[in-house]
Amino acid sequence: MKFRELETDVLILGGGLAGVNAALGAAEMGADVMVVDKGHIDRSGDIGGGVDHFLAYLETGPAWDTPDAFLGYVEKIGKGTNHLGHIESLYCAELPAAIERMARIGNPLTQRDGTFYRTASMGQPGPYWINFNGKRLKPKLGKAVRRAGCKVFGRCVTVDLLTNDGQVVGALAYHFRANRFLVFRAKSVIIATGNTNRLYENPRLNPFNTWLCPYNTGDGQMMALKAGAALTNMEYMRMTVLPKGFAAPGFNALVGMGGRFLNSLGEYYMEKTHPMGNRAPRYAVVFNTLHEIRNGRGPIYIDCRHVEPEAMDHLLKTLGYDKDTLPEYFDQRGENLRTKPVEVMVSEGMQAGPTEVTGSGIKIDGEGAATVPGLFACGDAADHNRCVHGAVTGGFKAGKSAALYARNRRLADAPPRAQVRETADRFIAPLHRKSGYPYMQIENAIRKIMAEHVGPTRTEVGLKAGAEKLEKLEPHLDEIQVDNYHDLMRANETRNLLAVGKVMATTALYRRESRNKPYHHRLDYPETDDENWCGLVVVRQEGGRIGCSFEPIVYRG
Amino acid sequence: MPVVFDLELCDGCGKCGRICPGDVIYMHRAEKTAGPNGSGEVVRINPQRLDVGTHLDKKSPYLPRPEECWHCGSCRQDCPRKAIRIVFSPDMLCM
Repeated sequence: MKFRELETDVLILGGGLAGVNAALGAAEMGADVMVVDKGHIDRSGDIGGGVDHFLAYLETGPAWDTPDAFLGYVEKIGKGTNHLGHIESLYCAELPAAIERMARIGNPLTQRDGTFYRTASMGQPGPYWINFNGKRLKPKLGKAVRRAGCKVFGRCVTVDLLTNDGQVVGALAYHFRANRFLVFRAKSVIIATGNTNRLYENPRLNPFNTWLCPYNTGDGQMMALKAGAALTNMEYMRMTVLPKGFAAPGFNALVGMGGRFLNSLGEYYMEKTHPMGNRAPRYAVVFNTLHEIRNGRGPIYIDCRHVEPEAMDHLLKTLGYDKDTLPEYFDQRGENLRTKPVEVMVSEGMQAGPTEVTGSGIKIDGEGAATVPGLFACGDAADHNRCVHGAVTGGFKAGKSAALYARNRRLADAPPRAQVRETADRFIAPLHRKSGYPYMQIENAIRKIMAEHVGPTRTEVGLKAGAEKLEKLEPHLDEIQVDNYHDLMRANETRNLLAVGKVMATTALYRRESRNKPYHHRLDYPETDDENWCGLVVVRQEGGRIGCSFEPIVYRG
Repeated sequence: MPVVFDLELCDGCGKCGRICPGDVIYMHRAEKTAGPNGSGEVVRINPQRLDVGTHLDKKSPYLPRPEECWHCGSCRQDCPRKAIRIVFSPDMLCM
């Protein structure tokens, strides 16, 4: 086995939107930066192919367009899921610089005429979505990262963090095209590996047909947990509403432009069932849509026929910004937004924050630091970052914080070489097995268990059954066999999927109330109980066992 | 196939294979091989299947695991020769 040893100030795991912004933040502070990614940073992560929305207040005058109103919105839709103080320092304080940075790297949030095109949905008090053309955002950021002198390692999967004396001191990665291990020693490490997809049974059959990037499988959260870091908000299973057959984003654009949800009885059910109608918070739209389907009133459509021609022109032009291939999908399927409602469906579940402004994953403070020295997190892998705006602002903040931490610090000793080799041996074992199961067979079982027992309706008995089944499945991870390096990387993802599933089942069992239904809906505790459960379920792993505790959140009133 | 290459237009630069976020696109130098049932020579691009009538003097892209494609369109956007089309499978179009 070949090992290559490398040293840096700041090591960033994951080069999606959060990771590259972290790289820019750390480089700006003068740190040496290395970025590890399973893909290529020009096109990897959730928005590799493009994006069309960025959530922001712009302080243009109206009361809703201020930081105070924004924080009020965060409290309203995400009560009990985040500390407003963290949002202030990770997002609000970073927002003006983030908007300026987007323009500087050549992908401004403005239209050609210099104005912002703004729309509202998902419970916002005003039009917080900036609609923009982000099709070349990642290539431009990739270029900026290379120009800043950061070293990038593509086609590398992180196997595990390296720790020494309770501190994170680097990471072991594997180059799955070159079949080579890389041992990174770093003064600080940032995890930016996104949320967990491919975790729940996919209603479109193919597990890779997911809303968010199917190559994000919770690797970062699980290596952080193993290294002793705390995670929060892991009980929330996020879902959304997407075009039938193709899990392409586009919901923001369609609803933002006035799209109306329609059931098969011809009823605009959101307008009847929620005071905010179609522009209700996402979890409410999903909850009510599930209700329609369960009661036999599917198929469900989104109706845009009434949208004014000018707005429709804008919508059709920008639909492909968010998902480059969605216009072709509509064409090949024979859909036409102008003339008929388009069928939609509730997406697969995923481990991700319960709102657009609340994360799920590695517990961070207002600086982006995790609870283990030397470790930082940002983007969808962290509990106080979420979405495009969170990745851009929180990523940059985490980069700066990790660089500050690294400053004037000596490179810590790596763990003993034998220990690193043991981790590498365990990772590569599926390649050397003479017989075994394909990773996909184990993964399918994980997805089925998650959908049936840790899904949009939960009970104590069901969650316990889910956790037991996952535990029963766990030893079989050591029977996965692969015959190439690519599948070896996937087999490692399968291992992380199961670990994330166990954490979700455990935390969902612990939270004996419902919050942001259907993301955490306990049929045995169906009400939201702010008196006892307004706060975070904090999960840690000690001696191989997962344990939960509760951290209350107090609002100013 | 979710990603369809026009192998006449493709010049084998390999950009699609480098930037694909899912490691779904690989490059392979076409090689001459015996055709099925002794039908003479064919050119093999995808090591897993036979493609006839393509060039031997360049590398060509292929998808060893098409089911892992996310249909993100990055390869199509970045192809300098505009040699890529995205074609959705029947299950995605008809369900």
